[in-house]
Amino acid sequence: MKEFDIISTRANRIDTPDKATGRAVFVDDISRPGMLYGALLQSPHAHAKILSIDTSKAEKLKGVKAVITSKDAGSIKYGVSPARYDETVFAIDRVRYVGDEIAAVAADSLDIALAAVDLIKVEYEILPAVLTIEEAMKDGAPLLHEGSPKNLCAEVHQEFGNVEEGLKNSDIIITTKMKNKRQDGAFIEMQGCIAEFDNLGVLTLTSSTQVPHYVQRTVAMVLGMDVGKVRVIKPYVGAGFGIKAAANPMELACCILARKTKKPVKMNYTRDQVFMLARARHQFSHTITTGAKKDGTLMAIKHECWLDGGAYTSFGIATVYYTGSLLGGPYKLDNMSYDGYRVYNNKPACGAQRGHGAVIARAAFEQQLDMIAEKIGMDPLELRIKNMMETGDTTCNDLNMSSFGMSECIEAVRKGSGWDHKKGKMPKGKGIGMACGFFVSGAGYPIYRSDTWHGTVIVKLTEDGGTALVYTASAEIGQGSDTAFAMIAAETLGIPLENVRLASGDTDMGVDLGAYSSRQTLMTGHATKDAAEHAKRQVLEVLAEQLKVPVENMDIRNGFIEFKGAAPDFSGLRTRYIKEHRGWIDNPASEKLTFKEASRIAFLERGSIVGTGKYKPHDLGGKFKGAAVGTSPAYGCSAQVAEVTVDMETGQVTIDKITDAHDCGKAINLTSVEGQMQGSVSMGIGEAMHEEVIFDKQGRVLNHDLAEYKIVTSMDMPHVEAIVVESDEPNGPYGAKEVGEGAIMPTIPAILNAVYDAAGVRLNELPLTPERVYNAIQEYKEKNKIK
Amino acid sequence: MLLPKFEFHEPGSIKEALELKKKLGSTARLLAGGTDLLVHLKKKIITTDHIISLQRIESLARITAQPDFVEIGACATMAAISGTPVIKEKFSALKSGVDNIGTHLIRNRATLGGNVCNASPAGDSLPALLIYKALVLLESLDGKREMPIEEFFKGPGKTDMKADEILTGFRLPTPPAHSGAHYIQLGKRKSSEINVVNVASFLEFDPKTKIILNARIALGSVAATPIRSLKAEALLKGKIAEETSFYEAGEKARFEDCKPIDDFRGSAAYRRAMVGVLTKRTLTTAFELAGR
Amino acid sequence: MKKIIHLTINELDHEIAVEPNKTLADLLRYDLKLTGTKKGCDTGDCGACTVIMNGDPVNSCLVLAVQANGSRIETVEGLSTDEGIHPIQKAFVEKGAIQCGYCTPGMIMSTKSLLDKNPNPNEQEIREGISGNLCRCTGYTKIFEAIESLRS
Repeated sequence: MKEFDIISTRANRIDTPDKATGRAVFVDDISRPGMLYGALLQSPHAHAKILSIDTSKAEKLKGVKAVITSKDAGSIKYGVSPARYDETVFAIDRVRYVGDEIAAVAADSLDIALAAVDLIKVEYEILPAVLTIEEAMKDGAPLLHEGSPKNLCAEVHQEFGNVEEGLKNSDIIITTKMKNKRQDGAFIEMQGCIAEFDNLGVLTLTSSTQVPHYVQRTVAMVLGMDVGKVRVIKPYVGAGFGIKAAANPMELACCILARKTKKPVKMNYTRDQVFMLARARHQFSHTITTGAKKDGTLMAIKHECWLDGGAYTSFGIATVYYTGSLLGGPYKLDNMSYDGYRVYNNKPACGAQRGHGAVIARAAFEQQLDMIAEKIGMDPLELRIKNMMETGDTTCNDLNMSSFGMSECIEAVRKGSGWDHKKGKMPKGKGIGMACGFFVSGAGYPIYRSDTWHGTVIVKLTEDGGTALVYTASAEIGQGSDTAFAMIAAETLGIPLENVRLASGDTDMGVDLGAYSSRQTLMTGHATKDAAEHAKRQVLEVLAEQLKVPVENMDIRNGFIEFKGAAPDFSGLRTRYIKEHRGWIDNPASEKLTFKEASRIAFLERGSIVGTGKYKPHDLGGKFKGAAVGTSPAYGCSAQVAEVTVDMETGQVTIDKITDAHDCGKAINLTSVEGQMQGSVSMGIGEAMHEEVIFDKQGRVLNHDLAEYKIVTSMDMPHVEAIVVESDEPNGPYGAKEVGEGAIMPTIPAILNAVYDAAGVRLNELPLTPERVYNAIQEYKEKNKIK
Repeated sequence: MLLPKFEFHEPGSIKEALELKKKLGSTARLLAGGTDLLVHLKKKIITTDHIISLQRIESLARITAQPDFVEIGACATMAAISGTPVIKEKFSALKSGVDNIGTHLIRNRATLGGNVCNASPAGDSLPALLIYKALVLLESLDGKREMPIEEFFKGPGKTDMKADEILTGFRLPTPPAHSGAHYIQLGKRKSSEINVVNVASFLEFDPKTKIILNARIALGSVAATPIRSLKAEALLKGKIAEETSFYEAGEKARFEDCKPIDDFRGSAAYRRAMVGVLTKRTLTTAFELAGR
Repeated sequence: MKKIIHLTINELDHEIAVEPNKTLADLLRYDLKLTGTKKGCDTGDCGACTVIMNGDPVNSCLVLAVQANGSRIETVEGLSTDEGIHPIQKAFVEKGAIQCGYCTPGMIMSTKSLLDKNPNPNEQEIREGISGNLCRCTGYTKIFEAIESLRS
């Protein structure tokens, strides 16, 4: 007998037919009657005092309906974490980066709004700008934020165990540095929103966001409104990857314009404004010292990292913690210290992006493991296996692996890539490398300190019976969460997937923290299961009364009621149903009682059957400062093998194949899990090989379009073999946990290790542009006197 | 992103286009495929009050093959050029060049005339045009003129085209027997790429002795315009077509024939080194292709 | 000054007055409410705005509506028929080639053009046939599989 009827299959997603036909609605597809168009005035200077703002000419332009500045927006500070609210909607007395918002205009057309923006006269006093960590921390450097001397946005110091002891007892100690560059989310849909007040003062904000709930709260706080009068609706969203996981200044400006004009206002970011906003992956400079015994046992990690944070904190307060905390696993390790520093400067703010602060730390560390393996003459794959944590283990920083299919992942990629007959036997210029990684399956705590449930779901059965309506405030942003929850609801209720209708992304539906930290499958999945069980229970209770059968002797499978032992006589119920459906030609005639009939009878007896579900994790983590960040009810993990060809004359690296195994606990939808794995790999490749945001000396982004910011195209993507591993997570609904972010962790280091295997060079700076690889090869040749 | 407001003109003949150009002067821009012009207008790099579209002038899009030459109209698209059999057979380096421009979507609109008039030192079609000794065909109300393409480029974004002229096409003489050409570009990813370095090489040699009779090497992205690598060409003349000659030519090109700069796409030092590698490789393949 | 243009869009004839500086993408999306065609960059770098114009796939954000005068345009909305969704759309759904869906209409139009001209493309031809359509979600793998499944 099959274990599951709905989940664990390759069901077609419920949203993709509309996406394939152009029927799916994204925010810019929406038009509202009387809609105005908004545009932003943004600072052209990296650092300047605002001496005066003259909006008079702009206001007089025909077609302009409102011009707003900080006078209208106020000075309430907001941000991502309450511990670091350091932004205002509009700059008040100074601007801190090229792109800092100063004013906004609403007009009859975009044309007029943009013309009006050009008519706003701002008098600036240009201030010296600091564009790097070093410049920002120098004596006499301008201070970007009061209360942050030396422009230190955040500082973290943690030690677990005794690192000095651990290093003393090590036979090998390796210290390396690793540096990446800022990334950009490069989602294909730019941010956009429509804000509209109704005549009762209720604000509806339709926005391309990952986090309707956080946006709702931020909007309410900044506009001084009751949260209950703010409704945020997420239509279909063209991806987010973490960048859209916070309210952005455009959304807030749009709401204020809507309030002032009393009309719906639409605003969009252009592609170069997306680059100006940034809020994507930080630039990290890591120094890691790792000690190991000569048998390969890992003894200690000493880790220091400097984060180039930009003008505001955004997600950075969490980033600086994740950077350190996620080196605590996936290997057994008793001693770890982390000193992390996030520095402000006059560049756009960095935030969270797929894998958050842990991606580059993982890249650096997994490269070090290979170096240790080489030193002691051990296969790097074996070194990982030797040190790997097991199910039930807890890291030295209190992260518990309640399920951990890492050894299965390693075996899967060993086999899938042919590691054993390739490693050490590749022809010159070709190489194979591997790495492991893991990630949280949902942050253990919400971004604002609260007892709130992380997700609530409503499952309502239609009164006529047979269909389940699932309402969740969660965010389908392309990862397939709507389908996952529909499948979980169907599985739990025991009905076919086609009898589930799901709606999501609307804050009226409940609370859901949204799509970030890879949380939705586990957390919202739990709440969905919870709600479906509640609805199912109510139906079975009614049947129990009607048929005089105990609830425990009944179940619902595939849309039919199953009875333990002989089925009772339910003809009375059927007759009652059919009597109400005179004229229908397809009335139930099956041997078994249908869910349709049962749920109809349940309505007749009790009224609308509504199941409510909720989820929040139990108390997680240690009691030390920052312990919350990195905690999670579960951890996804993965291993990858990369095979590359290096052109030794030009430094060009071709990635020939990636073999990827990811433990997602239980795949609710197999196709969706593979899709997330492949997508993660493509982003990892981009970051490893050719993605970087480049600034000029005035703090402006130079490569602010998708031609010069180079994500992977169809011509660059290697073959990816995606292997799904299932370790059955006890804390996950049906055993499920994450895949969305964990899957990116091993990619960069697998490539780094493969390049070393092919070319004999270890690179410590990303991206691996041909020039960088070429220079490394030249250096290696000179050092070893090779021609 | 919005385009500025402009008047749109669609002349039906070259003469009409020239008259419009004369009348409107510098207030007008010519529009062929639009894949450069419209982007520059949207990004506010330039602005204009009038656009003169050449799209309706059929003769400008024609590609005609004669025994001694092929004529490519200025408004022939990259896709059309790539798909023309004579280009594939006899001008393979040009096909490689146009196949690398932008993406498959851009190539359905972008024109050779547009790529040449855009005069980017990194232009993908340009090195091949240089090594095939293309003639630029220009027309004004006063008549026609031709000039060798390597004299046509004056600097980044600058050509010899006069204010009252329209570039109508290119004439490429058919390469002689026992010759071959090849083009390689180097970037960071494989589509929608702007080159870090690009090189095209042409070799004509004696089939019996393998002595090089003529060599033409064109370097892109390493000077203010695409340039011929004259010292490397001189070195090759009279030498035997083989690995050492190609390597030496590459070194000559690298050290003596190019003036690369540092920019955000790459450093001068790397570009210089790659000139050496790509020159050697294009010569090697040009010779191999000739043998087929 | 507006110009009157004639377009055939998904086999329906249209006569429209347009400003010269309006792009085909904007005309389709905002004037004709055919919002299936998306805008991801507006400068011809992402392909989300791909439509088929006179048989060739193009970035509609880089075509002036006035340039399209007299042309035959196919958008994603025109693919479904009375019989249901187009086989390309069906394959994309079934193979999991769609995640956020924003690149999808453009990707599908490039695919249609590829298969119209070459019903049996090899792997390299498939990659080239969609090389102008960026996808940030799928890593292209399942898109390749969807197109491969449509080979005749």
